[in-house]
Amino acid sequence: MMRGVRILLATVLAATVAACGDPGEPRSLVPVVPAERPMPAGVELAPEAPEGGSGEDCDDPTASLAPSGLSTPAGSTMAEIKERGRLIAGVDQNTYLFGFRDPSTGELEGFDIDIAREMARALFGDPNRVQFKTVSVQDRITALQNGEVDVMVFAMTITCERREQAAFSSVYFEAGQRVLVRKGSGYTSLSDLGGKKVCAPKGSTSLANLVAADPTPVPVAVDDLADCLLLLQQRHVEAVSTDDTVLAGMASQDPTIEVVGETFSSEPYGIGIPKDNKDMVRYVNAVLEDVRANSWEDIYGRWLEPVLDSAKPPAPTYE
Amino acid sequence: MVANSWATTPGRLSIIAGGIVALILLTGVVAAATAMSKSDTTTNLVEIHEPTAADVQRLYSALSDADAAAASSLLAAGDEPIELRRRYENDIALVGPTLGLAALDRSGDPRVKEQIEVVGRQVPTYVGLVETARTNSRQGLPIGGAYLREASNLMRTEILPAAERLYRIQVERVADERESAVSFPYAATALAVLLIVALVAAQIQVRRLSKRRLNVGLLVATSAILLGVIWSSVAMTAHARLVNEGHDHGSAQVNLLADTRITALQARADELLTLVARGAGATYEEEFAKLSRTIVGDGGDGGTLREARTMTRDEEMVHHLDQSIGAAERWLTTHGEIRQSDDGGNYEEAVELAIDSRRAGSSAVEFRSLDDHLGVAIKGGRQHFVAETVGGARALTLLTAGWALLALVAAAGVVSGIRQRLREYR
Repeated sequence: MMRGVRILLATVLAATVAACGDPGEPRSLVPVVPAERPMPAGVELAPEAPEGGSGEDCDDPTASLAPSGLSTPAGSTMAEIKERGRLIAGVDQNTYLFGFRDPSTGELEGFDIDIAREMARALFGDPNRVQFKTVSVQDRITALQNGEVDVMVFAMTITCERREQAAFSSVYFEAGQRVLVRKGSGYTSLSDLGGKKVCAPKGSTSLANLVAADPTPVPVAVDDLADCLLLLQQRHVEAVSTDDTVLAGMASQDPTIEVVGETFSSEPYGIGIPKDNKDMVRYVNAVLEDVRANSWEDIYGRWLEPVLDSAKPPAPTYE
Repeated sequence: MVANSWATTPGRLSIIAGGIVALILLTGVVAAATAMSKSDTTTNLVEIHEPTAADVQRLYSALSDADAAAASSLLAAGDEPIELRRRYENDIALVGPTLGLAALDRSGDPRVKEQIEVVGRQVPTYVGLVETARTNSRQGLPIGGAYLREASNLMRTEILPAAERLYRIQVERVADERESAVSFPYAATALAVLLIVALVAAQIQVRRLSKRRLNVGLLVATSAILLGVIWSSVAMTAHARLVNEGHDHGSAQVNLLADTRITALQARADELLTLVARGAGATYEEEFAKLSRTIVGDGGDGGTLREARTMTRDEEMVHHLDQSIGAAERWLTTHGEIRQSDDGGNYEEAVELAIDSRRAGSSAVEFRSLDDHLGVAIKGGRQHFVAETVGGARALTLLTAGWALLALVAAAGVVSGIRQRLREYR
């Protein structure tokens, strides 16, 4: 009997001690995982540098055919356009301030659009007699080669390679590569950005220039230019570097960022024209002479001056 | 002791009676439990598993729909149409409650938890990006489009795949439960066969020992068990046939139609995002072509819609599926026109063809018609599933109670039959 009681007591004691063991940490059923920050599709960190596709050298790609007045003789390209009743202009719809669609109205607007309207004004006396045909960057040359457009007003840099595929007007805008940074970030030029992430579009000369820069930034390549601004806003990159015209469009969409530094490349923009329409090249150059003298500064002031500094129209060179 | 009892006739009779009564009770319990578990599994199929799968499927289509609605809103220049905004909001409002319910039914499956975590974590981020896109667009800033594409990328690469996996897991579970509901009752069958053999053997043994003809008590017991076996075979065959019917002409079709609907929603989002990307949307267009082939096949032949149609016998469903096929084909024609306009530089016309819900033949109208008819067909398929499966569950009504009663009758028969013999030895 006594032995039974003793065993019982021992058991109870053991059970009590066991119950007093380490209770463990308070538990959580939902693991705390830091938020994954979203990224646009197709972002590439430190991509291979694109080929520096300068092509064969030519003397001066910007030298165009000299203007020969605003007459439109019968049988000329201009006469055909007049007969059709409207000018067909290939334009961009993605570059804010240059060629873009106002999301609230759906209308095409921008520097290039206004230049195209000046062409229509010269031909018809009416800036609205122009049919805009939006094309993508890759299709610009093809559209000219197929004669789908009369003029391509699409922030096209005149290069020797392109001169073999299409004709170009005299330079109507001189752009250059610069950098876009957050205000107060302390960066004042590309040389401050060594080892930092800098965004540029895939396969562009801007990207090649970044890779070649010293000190070298960490290039981040995107499919669509607009993704660069998004990456800057979401703090995935420290800066964006491409043509200042594009950067101006980005800076004017966000008051907390600015374009800084000197231009470190030269991008002379010309109006693309189908290669065989030499009379049209001369005509367009004549219109551009007039634009430089009269409306250029108005158009520049309307779109780019608020973001870039004031500028003068580039002087034309002729063959 | 048993060996001693077996030596005398009364002892032997008592042992036989005791053994058989034990076997009867065991058979009765196993058969009743089998009937009850089949009936419960079938009821759960209708009340828990299929609804969960359908809810998760609805979550999946709501998420795809939100993606398409957000893209439509951004394309509508100026003020976004209120109905698009409502659709988007309603789609997003479905996420939280559905995830909560799906989490309740997780039954310890770690895969379910993972998917719920992904969807639960990423949807708020998605919503934030969509609102940033809206805000920018309302101020006329084109960067809104980039935010929308980023949101859509998050939806397509993270959220939708997780929602799809969650849906597949639920569909898998419905299939498992259905299989267990119609599985062959091996244990109960083996016991019943053993019992009948034992009863017949006992009848022979008793007859030899007492030199009488048939023992009535044992005969009653045998009849009761045979009745139970016949009843069970009929009821369970009917049950399996109805439950399988509910699958073949109900849930299997619903799964196919649900897949089709989701594919259509993704194709619609691709169509709109090609326009949002403005000339840089070649990848969206490629995906559209691939998805649309999945739905309607090539040149009026093949595709999941026609496959679903051949599976259908219900006339009303056939009607809705025919309407869906027609709408899908008209949508593809319009899509061709949209691409032509956009590629030809006439962006405004392309956008109008894509999103104007008041213009007859626009892809907004045809897509909505396709989606509506698919919705009705899915509802019809689910109704079919419920009707057949509930019918199946009803076939098993009373079988549990029946087995309990028949086992008692059989046991009583054995006891009274043997006791009668035993009395003759007093």
